[in-house]
Amino acid sequence: MMDVELTEILEALCQHAPFNEIADDPQLNDMAKEIEIRYVRTGEWVIAPSAPNSTLYFIRSGALEVLSKEKKLIRRMNEGELFGYYSLLRGGKSSQSMRTIEDSLLYCIPARWFIKLYEENDIFSDFFELAREVRLRIAMESQNSDVSLMTCPVISLLRRPPISADSHSSILSAAKIMAEHRVSSLLITENDELIGIVTDRDLRTRAVAEGLAYSTPISDIMTRDPIVMDSGDYASEAVLKMMERNVHHIPIVKNGRPIGVVSTGDIIQKESHGSVYLISDIYKQTSIEGLQSISRKMTHTFTQLVVADANTQMIGNAMSHIGTAFVKRLLQLAEEKYGPPPVPYCFIALGSQAREEQTIKTDQDNALVISDLYNKKQHGDYFETLTDWVCKRLDQCGYDLCSGDIMASNPRWRQPLSVWKNNFSGWIQQPKAEALLRLSIFFDLRGVYGDKTLAKQLNQHIRQQAQQHSGFLTFMARNANQRKPPLGFFRQFVLDGEGEQSRTFNLKERGIAPIIDIVRVHALACGSEKLNTLERIADIEAAGLLPDGRAKDLALALEMIGMIRIQNQKDQIEAGEEPNNHVNPENLSSLEKRNLRDAFHIVSRQQEFIKFRYAGKRS
Amino acid sequence: MSQSFVKKIPQAKRQDWQAMYAEWAEEAPEGPLKRFYQAGIIAPQQLLKDTPLLALDLETTGLNPSTDEIISLGLIPFDHKIIRCKGARYWMAKPERSLNAESVTIHEITHTELAEAPRLEAILDEILSALTHKVIVVHCVAIERQFLLEASLKIYGYPLYFPVLDTMNIERQVTFKPWWQRFGKRPSLRLDACRQRYKLPRYKAHHALTDALSSAELLQAQIAYHMDPNADIASYWL
Repeated sequence: MMDVELTEILEALCQHAPFNEIADDPQLNDMAKEIEIRYVRTGEWVIAPSAPNSTLYFIRSGALEVLSKEKKLIRRMNEGELFGYYSLLRGGKSSQSMRTIEDSLLYCIPARWFIKLYEENDIFSDFFELAREVRLRIAMESQNSDVSLMTCPVISLLRRPPISADSHSSILSAAKIMAEHRVSSLLITENDELIGIVTDRDLRTRAVAEGLAYSTPISDIMTRDPIVMDSGDYASEAVLKMMERNVHHIPIVKNGRPIGVVSTGDIIQKESHGSVYLISDIYKQTSIEGLQSISRKMTHTFTQLVVADANTQMIGNAMSHIGTAFVKRLLQLAEEKYGPPPVPYCFIALGSQAREEQTIKTDQDNALVISDLYNKKQHGDYFETLTDWVCKRLDQCGYDLCSGDIMASNPRWRQPLSVWKNNFSGWIQQPKAEALLRLSIFFDLRGVYGDKTLAKQLNQHIRQQAQQHSGFLTFMARNANQRKPPLGFFRQFVLDGEGEQSRTFNLKERGIAPIIDIVRVHALACGSEKLNTLERIADIEAAGLLPDGRAKDLALALEMIGMIRIQNQKDQIEAGEEPNNHVNPENLSSLEKRNLRDAFHIVSRQQEFIKFRYAGKRS
Repeated sequence: MSQSFVKKIPQAKRQDWQAMYAEWAEEAPEGPLKRFYQAGIIAPQQLLKDTPLLALDLETTGLNPSTDEIISLGLIPFDHKIIRCKGARYWMAKPERSLNAESVTIHEITHTELAEAPRLEAILDEILSALTHKVIVVHCVAIERQFLLEASLKIYGYPLYFPVLDTMNIERQVTFKPWWQRFGKRPSLRLDACRQRYKLPRYKAHHALTDALSSAELLQAQIAYHMDPNADIASYWL
């Protein structure tokens, strides 16, 4: 008999963490030999509530949901994910239960192997060590449901496959389909592509009340090109979109195809109260006092998200959305107060808010792009008053005035589109290192209120210019190398060493900002339209700008440093201090220190890489 | 997926495998094959859910059982819920005639690998003892059973024959539609195509052990969808 090697199984395991990290461990083949495989149909328990568990499960295909003790949905797991280890680490007692939501093929790894690898292989145990803390906090979250809409994907709200009709269908047949399936909305397709949506209300107001014939094509009364969301988006974003646009149904798409519809009813059912309502509260306020009182709740929201183990991406997303809600509401109030704008304008967020990576403590960085119809004599006063008022009120709501005065209230950053375009052309065509250092924030630019096409046009212009002028990228790359990670000889942490901060180093300055800078350079090089750093990394990876695996390294380093930063901020808040970006390495666990060193190491290497990648002609 | 059921074989049409095994145990020449038949067979009343199953797949030099030869064989034990990699086994066997280039490209087993492998007669004893007291599961009964029968005739001078669950046959039944309901092509019954209907992952085909694993997983899915785990095994075996 030949040595039995189940290559399919090993290969499948080794495509995912932590096995991909330990693929060279000779024990893996022996482990694979003891794997058991189960095919589990939709809706069956894999770990039933309060059942003991002695298996580490790997999802080879399919999907499962994780439920808390109280049978609340905690999260959804897909192909390549592992579960069951938390109970193995706790001696077989499982506090959560797992149920298939698709037909699934599971690899069952005996506990003995999990324990063996956990004890013998540091990389393996680190993976679960981190994950264990994560689970612990998720478990805490399940008792504290305040934030679950913020952390659950919108796909988890779907309760049935999409119901649709062809655009040529009559109103009558569309209504029949809706009645038959008892749905309040119907997706309208043309050649299998989603082109519109019809709701109960449309039938009422656009068909019956108008006295349309039943034979009228449904496409006559549908809402064309409805707002859609991606299956990976958070439920909280769906709530936001519904409130912003005053719609009650949002089609959810996956890889461009509709997979269902989320309605306000689904959301209310999921969550009758919670901090998502913080955002709806913001839109309800009519006074600054009201907004201020909400802003005081934000540290609470932030710490809850951290406790609930939202990752940095989720937190950045949530905090940025909250920030954006403040901006929008203030602009609405300002327009009520000073009248509608005489010409279109767009209020733009810069930096972390544009990248949707805000944390708890942020200055405001913003600007105004005005339509080229702008005439200073006629309209100047209006925009001055408007932005002045908004920026001051933002300050009162906890978004401190920008120390560098990069704010819409500064006339320099309140310009018509053509002036902005000229400015950027100048910065890009004749780059000056010093100036660019201050200006890098403008390369993360997102329209948040008003005529967003203005921001879009500007972003397009920036991308075009940047790609055409490689000399500019050389400058940007050089700037991205300015801030070095705090690693000295023997991989010791180098402390910043000034006054109160003498025993600390700045995680943002020395870790997060360098990564953001590096990623921005690559993103500009490949013409990525994304602003969010992780999304940019995905584009960079797809464009093949980095050697294999390096893009993932960057994302990982960002998450590691980001996680320690928000943990640290949470601890500071709980200790009654002002949250900042300084961390004292003495307060870190050895695991955190190790992760941080690894992350900084990645940053250094990648800084070396961009130096070489975008080396100018002269050097 | 539609809920169609695999027809159970009615009592009258069932082969009496126990009686046949008893007869062959008498007739077969002394040796491993006789011992295989003497060991007997799983009782036909055994419930499907309690039956020890063994997925089997072999790779051959070609498709003709009388002229082509077995070059590798994979086995994996399982039941309707659990597949046990621990019992997985795999053999390669050196054929008497040399390989043609075409079959090498299919199963990717090379001359050098086979040159070092034993002849089938050296390992068939071992294979037989692995098959003892299991119900064999294959995808396409004609191939596997025929090749093993030919090999046994050549090596022991007496046929090897056993009941099987055939995942291809099961799939044929559940995808069958009379011609007036059929639209376009008949669904494919290839192993990979069958697996896709149950959303099972894509595997690289044509490795005897992987294919054995593939059909084991497929049968689990088929049982979950179309078969009655509480029926006796004789209602499904062929």
